[in-house]
Amino acid sequence: MKCFRDALKTAKCWIVGHKLRAAVLTLVLLVIAPWPAKAQYVDPCCAIMAAGLASISSALENVIGGGLNHILGVDQSIQQFEQNTVWPQNLINQARALVGGLQGIFNQIQSLTQIRVNSATLPNSQQLETNLLSRNANQIGQTSSNYTALYGQVPTTTDASQQVRDVVDMTDAAAQDAMKRAIEIDALSDLELQAASQINQGIQSAAPGSAPIIEAQADAWLVRANAYTQAATADLMRLRAIDLANSSADIKMGATNTTNLRQQLMNLLQHN
Amino acid sequence: MHYLTFVLFALTFTWFMVTASSPRRVIAVTVAGVLVLTLLISPPVAEAQGGLVEAIQAVLNVINGMLKNALSAINTARTAMNALYQNFVWPVQLINQAHAQVTQMINQYRALMASILNMNLSSATLPTPQSLETMMRDHRVNNFNSLTQSFGNTYGAIPSSVDASQADRDMSDMDDALTLDSLKTLKASDNATDLELQAANSIENSATQAAPGSAPFMTASAVASSIRSQALTQKMLAAELRQEAAHIAHQNGFRKRGATFTTQFRTLMMNLLQHN
Repeated sequence: MKCFRDALKTAKCWIVGHKLRAAVLTLVLLVIAPWPAKAQYVDPCCAIMAAGLASISSALENVIGGGLNHILGVDQSIQQFEQNTVWPQNLINQARALVGGLQGIFNQIQSLTQIRVNSATLPNSQQLETNLLSRNANQIGQTSSNYTALYGQVPTTTDASQQVRDVVDMTDAAAQDAMKRAIEIDALSDLELQAASQINQGIQSAAPGSAPIIEAQADAWLVRANAYTQAATADLMRLRAIDLANSSADIKMGATNTTNLRQQLMNLLQHN
Repeated sequence: MHYLTFVLFALTFTWFMVTASSPRRVIAVTVAGVLVLTLLISPPVAEAQGGLVEAIQAVLNVINGMLKNALSAINTARTAMNALYQNFVWPVQLINQAHAQVTQMINQYRALMASILNMNLSSATLPTPQSLETMMRDHRVNNFNSLTQSFGNTYGAIPSSVDASQADRDMSDMDDALTLDSLKTLKASDNATDLELQAANSIENSATQAAPGSAPFMTASAVASSIRSQALTQKMLAAELRQEAAHIAHQNGFRKRGATFTTQFRTLMMNLLQHN
């Protein structure tokens, strides 16, 4: 307070001592001080502006507001239609619940495929059967040795003709190929069941807009599954083809053997 | 902004005025202050308002012309879209018609097909095969031991090592094993088929009430079911592959043994002839 009083006193002394400067300073500051603008109600251009704004307001209300109201009405109608008819929440929830319910059935199916069906009683057959039912593609390397242990090897050159050896080897090959394919198919079908469960879980948490994407993925899996089924069917057809070829080979070899025997008998009779 | 500029100018001007040491400097500071005031701090010149009426008219023209036309076009488009949705994409009467068709087909086919599938196919006439046949076709997976027992009763046990060679015993055991494996797999498959039909019925039932927006869930679920169905078909195919492979392996075994027997017979004959 005392400082303020001193400052005022100093300022007063300065003003008294420098009257001209104080006057100039006061004049300049008064001239340039910003003053609030005065209202212009009395200005004629304000009346024009008021009328113009009223026209604009009226136009906004009628033209823009009316147009927007029409659009709003149509949009509300669309929204109502989509909510009640196209994507009703309760029916979507029902569909999700259905998918959840189906998952229970699918789990039962999956557990059915896991039931052990092994039935062999002797060591060699048990070993081959275990290999065949392993559902493990890594076990395919053991199939041939297990097969040979049970069904024997291709006869040696002293025991059978080359033709017989070829037929026997081809038949063994077809049988082993089919057994290996069976292991593969079992493994693949296990993976397919697993994937199907994952897809089903995905559907349960999907939105109506994302469900078709999952459906597309499921379709792709179905195509793949069809391809695996075709691969298995192809091996089955190969097996049956080899079986048929074997029947034919038996006839052919029988005919050759008969001819050879007849020839040898004729030679024998001629020598006598 | 203008007030801030004024305050800054006032402070600076006052400072120079107070610290000016001579009247000439006071005049110089005053002149400089006025020049700065005029050139930099003075408020911007107000624009003339002569074009106000034209400006308002221009705004009104925009509202009544461009904006009105644009809104009208949007309204037309939205109305057309609404009509398209309701009359062409998702017409309610066709949705109801689809529901009715699903219901009608359920009534027409479901019971009929179930009765066809569940017809009794049993054909065995003797007690032991009858038991095996019943066991084979009962769709149960908790009686595999009984199945094995019935199979043994019908087809006999593996010969003892006294009655048959080891090779014969092994092949016979393998044949029986793969037959039983297939029969067990088929019992499980039959059971799974029942469950699949149950799933198909559930999906079809839901389709009677589905909305266009909820149908994709069912479609996706049906496709997932188809994948499972394929997997089960593959399991059956794998069993058939094993069975067929064992079948031709068995026949091939005969061929191999035939070769061995022929060799043994030839050796025997040669020995016999040499002795004579």
